[in-house]
Amino acid sequence: MSLVMRKSPIEYFNAAKWIIRRECRYLSNLPEVAENSEVVEDKPPKGRKPRFLNPTLQYRHVYPEFLPDPNPKFRNSLREKLERADMLKRRSQVDIPEFYVGTILAVTIADPHAQGKTNKFVGICIERKGCGLRAEFTLRNVIDHQGIEVRYELYDPTIQNIQVLRLEKRLDDKLFYLRDALPEYCTFPIDMDPEILPEGSPVPVNTVQVKLKPRPWLERWERQELKGVSNIEEHLKEKDRVRRELRKTPWEKFDLMKDYRKTIPIEDQTEIWGEVYNQLQQMRVSRKKMSKQRTFTAPKTQLG
Amino acid sequence: MASSNLKLLCTLLSRIRVENVTIKRNLYQPPKYRPPHWYMPKERVLTDDMVTQDNRDFIDEVRQDKLNLQTAMESPLSKIEPQETVQWNPTTRRVGLIARKIGNYPLWTKSGKKVQTTLLQVVDNHVIKYIPPEEYTPAKDYKPKKVGKYRLGCMLVGSETIDPTTVTKDYCGIFSSVGMLPKRHLCRFHVSPNAQLPTGTPLFATHFRVGDYLDIRAKTIDRGFQGVMKRWGFKGMPASHGVTKTHRRPGNIGAGGEKARVWPGTKMPGHMGNRWRILRGVKILRINTKHNVLWTLGVGIPGETGAMCYLFDTVLPLKKLQTPPPFPTHPPAEDLPLEYYDESIHLFEQPSITFEET
Repeated sequence: MSLVMRKSPIEYFNAAKWIIRRECRYLSNLPEVAENSEVVEDKPPKGRKPRFLNPTLQYRHVYPEFLPDPNPKFRNSLREKLERADMLKRRSQVDIPEFYVGTILAVTIADPHAQGKTNKFVGICIERKGCGLRAEFTLRNVIDHQGIEVRYELYDPTIQNIQVLRLEKRLDDKLFYLRDALPEYCTFPIDMDPEILPEGSPVPVNTVQVKLKPRPWLERWERQELKGVSNIEEHLKEKDRVRRELRKTPWEKFDLMKDYRKTIPIEDQTEIWGEVYNQLQQMRVSRKKMSKQRTFTAPKTQLG
Repeated sequence: MASSNLKLLCTLLSRIRVENVTIKRNLYQPPKYRPPHWYMPKERVLTDDMVTQDNRDFIDEVRQDKLNLQTAMESPLSKIEPQETVQWNPTTRRVGLIARKIGNYPLWTKSGKKVQTTLLQVVDNHVIKYIPPEEYTPAKDYKPKKVGKYRLGCMLVGSETIDPTTVTKDYCGIFSSVGMLPKRHLCRFHVSPNAQLPTGTPLFATHFRVGDYLDIRAKTIDRGFQGVMKRWGFKGMPASHGVTKTHRRPGNIGAGGEKARVWPGTKMPGHMGNRWRILRGVKILRINTKHNVLWTLGVGIPGETGAMCYLFDTVLPLKKLQTPPPFPTHPPAEDLPLEYYDESIHLFEQPSITFEET
């Protein structure tokens, strides 16, 4: 009896820890890391199923800007509701596709100063941030040996068209290190053709590791635990390695409170996705129909 | 001889009289703070009243009945014929509104420019009472002015109905004397006598129109005791080059000689924020009639998200009302469009902005 008594609290504790971790990972709206998903696929958790199998919760990766800023200073349910309604209205006018950091996009924007009054830019998405109508993303490309970055606002009504040329993810959730990488890693032709993925396939993860130019760098990349960089150790001195060790914060991944402050609670998320799910789903379906029509009509025009 | 002298002195002394005493005082008397007669302390210490569950249920029932009565109450304005309403002229002053700041988000103009807006929600506003100028004595007057000297009357407006058991009896009395339920926020507006409204008139966001300008009065964010760099924007001193212990300090605060003292009004560290401030001339860009929300241009409205603010028609001479607004206020109407937009604002449900080639 005493043995049982002794054992049981530890077991409970472990179980609680497991549940909490699962929940947190499930809730975070940060982009999923590729390795994690692979691990889950290889080893499905035995016995207990994950507690929340709400399919609408998957939308937090596809439409991260629908989740509000978790800072309680700025939260207000009515404002968030009005903002979401405006976002859906804008989405009904322009097709904003699913894309991630690392995806190659072509954006056409109305520009009063451009020739022909429109401006098209192709580039790799190196950052996606902001929530609500403030959501924005940055494209990077190298044109005429000159690195160019353009920041677009996702809900800007001057945007005419957003086209996904190659849908993929990268190993990191921000690709600022491409600024210090060799230019071939972010050079994309302006007249790139879109690559169409087969339907129902998961978003592929590009595991390419870029090579950095020698120092000086714009940031201390060695301290950021980047997975998409191959030759970072070549450029480091002993001093840098020592300082990297000193600056490490290995405890932060166990900081539950920090995780909690960064995320929107499950109850709020189910409410938000329940509100916008139907309309987003309709838009998806209509987009699929449109793309099918396009594939049918394309050969005809060529023949004619 | 000595005794006669003493007698003389005594008679002289007995003649001395104190006619009037003048005491020299400081002539300035600061105005005594007299709270307005409708001011009552609101907060109550909540105690366990040892009420049985049955009685508690009964109180809840009564409260719910009263709330239902008030929500079902028809606006007194709906009975008045439109011909009877008085005409607006530029010198009249209308009542204002109590609103809550609920956040910021961008809108785009038709030329493709992004503008930041602040959202203000008008929450459950009702007219509580009107005090005509003859009876109105403002709080801070040293000498009460003569009757009839005031041009403007005083209108009390409340927002957000609350549970009467959570506030003091005195505060409840202000409302129950006019047959209303207590409100969380109570504010007075100076209005012209012809702009007066009967008790219980609901006020909506449509009281203002799109394109009008507002004055917004609110309390700024309370930042506590702050140094001179944050409070007054001083530059501080260098981080290095031999500077020790004076990186964020003000430096010199005065000269010597005749002026060897700290001059009044010198900018120094101290409490920052939590003061009433008025932002004048804020344009309304969009109005939602269902949720009573106003979108106003700019992010400079004092206070944090969730703070209360008071909205008035602006007094700026170039931005004043030119055409007659809804007067005395907009009557409740069923068939209003859901949203009003300023003509410069791009609607999200409209197709994307394109520019014509010229």
